[in-house]
Amino acid sequence: MQIVYRLIVVLNMETIVPHSETIGNPTMSAESDTESGNFPPTNRVAFNEPAFQHSVNKAPPRGVNIQSPANSTPSFRPSVQPLYQPPPSYRNHGPIMKNEAPARIIPIAALNPYQGRWAIKARVTAKGDMRRYNNAKGDGKVFSFDLLDSDGGEIRITCFNAVVDRFYDVIEVGKVYLISKGSLKPAQKNFNHLKNEWEIFLESTSTVELCPDEDGSIPRQQFSFRPISDIENAENNTILDMIGVVTSVNPSVPILRKNGMETHRRILNLKDESGKAVEVTLWGEFCNRDGRQLEEMVESAFYPVLAIKAGKVSDFSGKSVGTISSSQLFIDPDFPEAQRLRNWFDHGGKNTASSSISRDTMPGGGSRNEIRKAVSQIKEEGLGRSDKPDWVTVKATISFIKTDSFCYTACPLMIGDKQCNKKVTRTGTNMWLCDRCNQESEECDYRYLLQVQIQDHTGLTWVTAFQESGEEIMGCPAKQLYTLKYELQNDEEFAEIVRIRLFHQYLLKLKIKEESYGDEQRVKMTVVKVDKVNYTSESKYLLDLLVRSL
Amino acid sequence: MDTSSPSAFVNGALLGRLAGRKVRTVVQVIGSEIGSVVGKTTDDVQIFVRGSSPAPLTTYVEVIGIAESDNSIRAETWTNFGNTFDPQNFNELCKLANGEFKHLFM
Ligand SMILES: [Zn+2]
Repeated sequence: MQIVYRLIVVLNMETIVPHSETIGNPTMSAESDTESGNFPPTNRVAFNEPAFQHSVNKAPPRGVNIQSPANSTPSFRPSVQPLYQPPPSYRNHGPIMKNEAPARIIPIAALNPYQGRWAIKARVTAKGDMRRYNNAKGDGKVFSFDLLDSDGGEIRITCFNAVVDRFYDVIEVGKVYLISKGSLKPAQKNFNHLKNEWEIFLESTSTVELCPDEDGSIPRQQFSFRPISDIENAENNTILDMIGVVTSVNPSVPILRKNGMETHRRILNLKDESGKAVEVTLWGEFCNRDGRQLEEMVESAFYPVLAIKAGKVSDFSGKSVGTISSSQLFIDPDFPEAQRLRNWFDHGGKNTASSSISRDTMPGGGSRNEIRKAVSQIKEEGLGRSDKPDWVTVKATISFIKTDSFCYTACPLMIGDKQCNKKVTRTGTNMWLCDRCNQESEECDYRYLLQVQIQDHTGLTWVTAFQESGEEIMGCPAKQLYTLKYELQNDEEFAEIVRIRLFHQYLLKLKIKEESYGDEQRVKMTVVKVDKVNYTSESKYLLDLLVRSL
Repeated sequence: MDTSSPSAFVNGALLGRLAGRKVRTVVQVIGSEIGSVVGKTTDDVQIFVRGSSPAPLTTYVEVIGIAESDNSIRAETWTNFGNTFDPQNFNELCKLANGEFKHLFM
């Protein structure tokens, strides 16, 4: 049997952490002295437990262990101490060292509230806006930024009032800083999802120095991307990073929050190589700034890669991911993951079917993106009066269809890949003239311009349906009805077709916008989508409303 | 509407509690024996529905009758509910009609 003795001599130790949890799982060799019996190797030592003091720390990064010559402590003063005797307090070394020696750079992961002096070197990965607040103590302002160091440690820094003025303009996302002094407070986990139980509050004595030289050892961002198939099993409210290709972008819709404030919401669909797709909800500013950019890209048939840092999983109706205030979006980022996804998408991924982990509550019509309104609410809530149109869905029955004019003669010429569709007029030579194209055609197209009265349990209103929705409502092309009425003059059959289209219930998606006609303001409502009521999904929708109201 | 003899909405779990009462449920027909139909309730309980069923039966059938035990009903009324019925919605209806919204039902 071979006995291995391990003898470690530690010189010149300095307490950085007077009270700390045990890091790792140290075990004592059987041969060590009797005091080892006091040491519970697998138990964690609580912060407030005075009996054991360990200052286990990661070695500082190479070359940054700043030791001042003013430090009067001999360089290699041997300080071999019996195990577990409380180490001398750092403060006892006197004021010289405390005031003049630059603090040692330690990893962010080693920071805790019990350290007197520390410095960290880290890159700013995110910078929040300056916010003003008003509470019992009066007015104030605050801003926060997030740091990442070369060991992958992350932490949030918050500044208040005068400290904001000192550092707000200094801090730039992507730059590396040497930061020292400040107090550590427990992280506010509802707002701060960094992997750190602390956050730093900078004070008047704190220093923030820009490191002018680029430090390649500190990554610009730290992601741990989860494939969409993983998100399917993630718990509600989990904060995670994800990356996917944006395949569709819905319009931004105004949403009334529970607190009565209005915000905006926009739903995107993302897919990735896991064969799954997910709905991503952008809220507030993300909706306008990034959302609009994504919408334009997708509209021009370019499907961007979107990386989301700190998205929140929601399990309302399947799984989806939403932005929170600390989320960050990266559109077509320069990451290897993004390039791999792009490559996958361009070489087949685009056309592979992905099953969505976000279940639509209403597969029969509309989606979670829709805002359901009753007919009377359109007027009551003054929809359409803001700058942007309102998009709502009503469940209503068609009660009347205007038939004296239900379609118009449209220009069949192509402008690019779209049909012109402007109204054409008959010329003396039996041709159809388009003012926009300034061209005549032999044939014209007949397109619906249908005035329809819709009704639900709250009231009735008039809406306009153009081509596609008109066809959906009438059940046949406009040309067929036109021929029947004006060429065959079969009024009886025409009336019958119109009659049987009445009193069906639909989910109608409406675009509502106030427009001025001369001096008159009129709210124009256009039917953009017509879906027959699917009773299964409608029941589910109602059930959902019911259960949520409990 | 005849309110003299109301029938309670039930699924398989609720059936046993209402033995002797008039009940109403929807089952997925999975087989038939002489004088009874074997059906699966919307909460996946296999029950026997006794009585003479009309032919043919669709996949889903609503039956109204007297609850005999936790797995059988003596049916008085049979109604074909077609082949595309959503059992989950009905199951939730049964739970709510006997739970939070019991006061709205007879
Ligand atoms: Zn034209």
